[in-house]
Amino acid sequence: MAEEGAAAGGITAEKVIHTYPLIRHSDMSEEMRTEAVELSVTACEKFSQNNELAARMVKESMDKKFGPAFHVVVGESYGFEITYECTTICYMYFGGNQAICIWKCS
Amino acid sequence: MLKAMIKRALKKDDETVLITKTLLRLEQKDTSTKSRGNLVEDEALDWLKPRALIRPDDQEDVPEADLEEEVGRILTTINPQWVADEVAYHYGQGRFVTKAKPTYGKAYPLYIYQGTAIRKDSDEAKAQVAAGYGMVGFDDAGPKRAKVKKSAAEEEEEEEPEPENVPAEEAKPEEDVQDEEKPKEVIEEQEILKPEAIDEEAAADEGVEETTPEEKEEAEAQVEEKIEIKPRVKKLANQFNFCERAALTYNFPRRSVDTQTIPPPRANYGATVLQCIIFDYYQEDYAKKQREKEEEKPKRLRKKAAKHAKSAQQIHDEQLAQRIREAWTILERLVNQNIYDDIAQDYRYWDDPSDEFREGMGSLLPLWKFQFEPMRNHAVCDVQWNPHYQDLFAVAYGSLDFTQQQKQGCLCLYSIKNPAYPEYSVITDSPIICLDVFKETPYLICVGRYDGNVCVYNAQLTLESSYQYKSDSVRDKHSNIVWEIRWGARLIDGEASFFSISGDGRVVQWAVMPGELQATTIITLHSSVPPIPGPDGTLITVNSCGSCICFHPEKPDIFMVGTEDGMIHTCSLKYNRNYVRSVQGHHMPVYRIHYNYFNNSIYASCSGDWRVKIWEDGRDEPLFMFELGSPVGDVKWAPYSSTVFAACTADGKVYVYDLNVNKYRPICVQAVVSKKTKKLTRIDFNPRLPVVVCGDTKGTCHVVKLSPNLRVMCKPPKKAQGIDQRSLQIMKLDKLLSLVRDPPFQTGVVDEKFDDD
Repeated sequence: MAEEGAAAGGITAEKVIHTYPLIRHSDMSEEMRTEAVELSVTACEKFSQNNELAARMVKESMDKKFGPAFHVVVGESYGFEITYECTTICYMYFGGNQAICIWKCS
Repeated sequence: MLKAMIKRALKKDDETVLITKTLLRLEQKDTSTKSRGNLVEDEALDWLKPRALIRPDDQEDVPEADLEEEVGRILTTINPQWVADEVAYHYGQGRFVTKAKPTYGKAYPLYIYQGTAIRKDSDEAKAQVAAGYGMVGFDDAGPKRAKVKKSAAEEEEEEEPEPENVPAEEAKPEEDVQDEEKPKEVIEEQEILKPEAIDEEAAADEGVEETTPEEKEEAEAQVEEKIEIKPRVKKLANQFNFCERAALTYNFPRRSVDTQTIPPPRANYGATVLQCIIFDYYQEDYAKKQREKEEEKPKRLRKKAAKHAKSAQQIHDEQLAQRIREAWTILERLVNQNIYDDIAQDYRYWDDPSDEFREGMGSLLPLWKFQFEPMRNHAVCDVQWNPHYQDLFAVAYGSLDFTQQQKQGCLCLYSIKNPAYPEYSVITDSPIICLDVFKETPYLICVGRYDGNVCVYNAQLTLESSYQYKSDSVRDKHSNIVWEIRWGARLIDGEASFFSISGDGRVVQWAVMPGELQATTIITLHSSVPPIPGPDGTLITVNSCGSCICFHPEKPDIFMVGTEDGMIHTCSLKYNRNYVRSVQGHHMPVYRIHYNYFNNSIYASCSGDWRVKIWEDGRDEPLFMFELGSPVGDVKWAPYSSTVFAACTADGKVYVYDLNVNKYRPICVQAVVSKKTKKLTRIDFNPRLPVVVCGDTKGTCHVVKLSPNLRVMCKPPKKAQGIDQRSLQIMKLDKLLSLVRDPPFQTGVVDEKFDDD
């Protein structure tokens, strides 16, 4: 019994909260993806309480760097069905509870 | 008279006024200079406009009367060069006739241009007007034409009043151009007409001629009029609204061309964000990363990890099995303790009572025999007590019978608590020749193998894990048997390192890097034998085969190397070319060099030439030399005494010497194994207990207990009771050495030994 308890304790101990950026789906080029992930991380850390501002920051920066008509969604719970230009989508998680979707469509 | 003539001339045709005026204007161009009278006339006009003449200060003052005086200048139409009575011979009449007065005496047509203008009241003009060709209003016409028309009208007006009054009448506000031009014209007209009249009076006979120029003038006027009329027809109403043909460029026709590119490819994507989905994906990714991390480990460890990645049931089973195994181990020990109870008692408490009566002689009490069934035919190639656990020793199973080499080897850890079965055993694919236990972490054991590889085993890992590090068989393993292996000091970076010496003549330092061993050749043992010509004539340098290595206890960069040709080289890690010292120690392979625990300059060596020699650093001759009558497999100093050492020989005997008791003879010679079937290979003192383990060629390890006479401790002298045992031991050895060193030549010892034998 004692050992089972220990094992259960071990499992709970393993419940680590992951906060690293994790790409769920992306067809961006390596350079673009790195940029997008970095931007998202920066924005979400800067505006941790305001997803709108975070999304705005990511969008504007991406527009500046890769041309206009980027769309960014930052949120914890939503659904989407989008049309994007190929090689411009990046759907990623960050902070363990935020999902960021970046795509371009003009 | 003049006026009348003008009137008469003008009456002929209203149009003639215009003609005359035009003619006059033509002539006026010729007479560029104006007469004084004209100036006066101009001044007469000026009173209309208040004008103050600004005269320069230095202007000559001329009396008013002089200014008023008229200076006549008359232009005549009569050519002064013309000879009135010029005659010419007329051939037709055959006489001289008077030359007629040239009709062009008054005017020379310099240029006659046959214009296309037509008279406005001619039929053709009327027809054109009727056709709407010149339906332009007079008022809308250009200024030039309007002026012409006006001046024509004025001429008509001029007829009634005196010419002098004309300027006064013309004082109505008019364009500046007209102001200036009109008086001149009128006056010129008068001036020109005057001589004409004179001319008429003077030559009445020239009446015909008189008319002729008039007609001609009329014709010319017609020409002039035509010029005037012509623009009337063609002129556009608004002079500002005109266009020049030259300014218009060709308008290129336009054409529109368009294409359409392929739109950038698009795709659809949809997903749902939920906290649970995010969490799950993070978990999945984390697990994947863990798996990758596992895969980065060496393959052999991955196998183990794969086993661990079994289901919970299997894990549980394994845990259970482990617990059962542990329980069985305890049970086995219990049983063994019961079976070998008497041995255990002896090991702990029995001291040979006969020692009291045998002064200076001792004996060995055989205790347990350790055997590992699969290794029954293997030789114990090395044996070493664990520096940390006093009951544990490691055994390397290999083979020394090179004609019938074994395929396998084994590394075993035995505990004297359980003589029946090794605590740890791992079977290797090549015989193990040597081993060394890492003093810092006693579960790490490095081994040297028959195939030239070196490995590091971790006794803490389960059996399946096999070795933890292994040298690269292709890249940097030894090309011959690894004869001895020794842990060295840690490197600068903190990595553990060990040294191996092999039959290929190389000493290699192995740095234990994470996941691999990094080899560095420290020294290549060159031989004194000159290069031997190979089959194809190339000279092959011969390396001397190293057979044993021993590090200085205090100087970690000094080590000694024994070779198969009997040389003992002192080397340094700092020099990879030369030996620090070289001594021809033996005549057969040196099997072991071992430093004294108490004196760092004293070491023992043994060899296949039956001898054990005790050396002092810096001396070419040994201090002691003992002939054992059989190849000596191993020699070891006792850890408890500075003067005791033990050696084992191929004829199965263990020799124990105490130089303090007897410098020439062993204090104990005991056959541990039968010399017919077995040989003793290696021996090792337990660092704390009075037991010795020695291995034989049949895979058996014998643990024997030293009798009290073999482990005599120093009794402190009465003067200095407080001195600890170690100092006493050092003093004991120093005292002994001082005795030995005194005679510079030590052959006597050997001689005596030989005599004894």
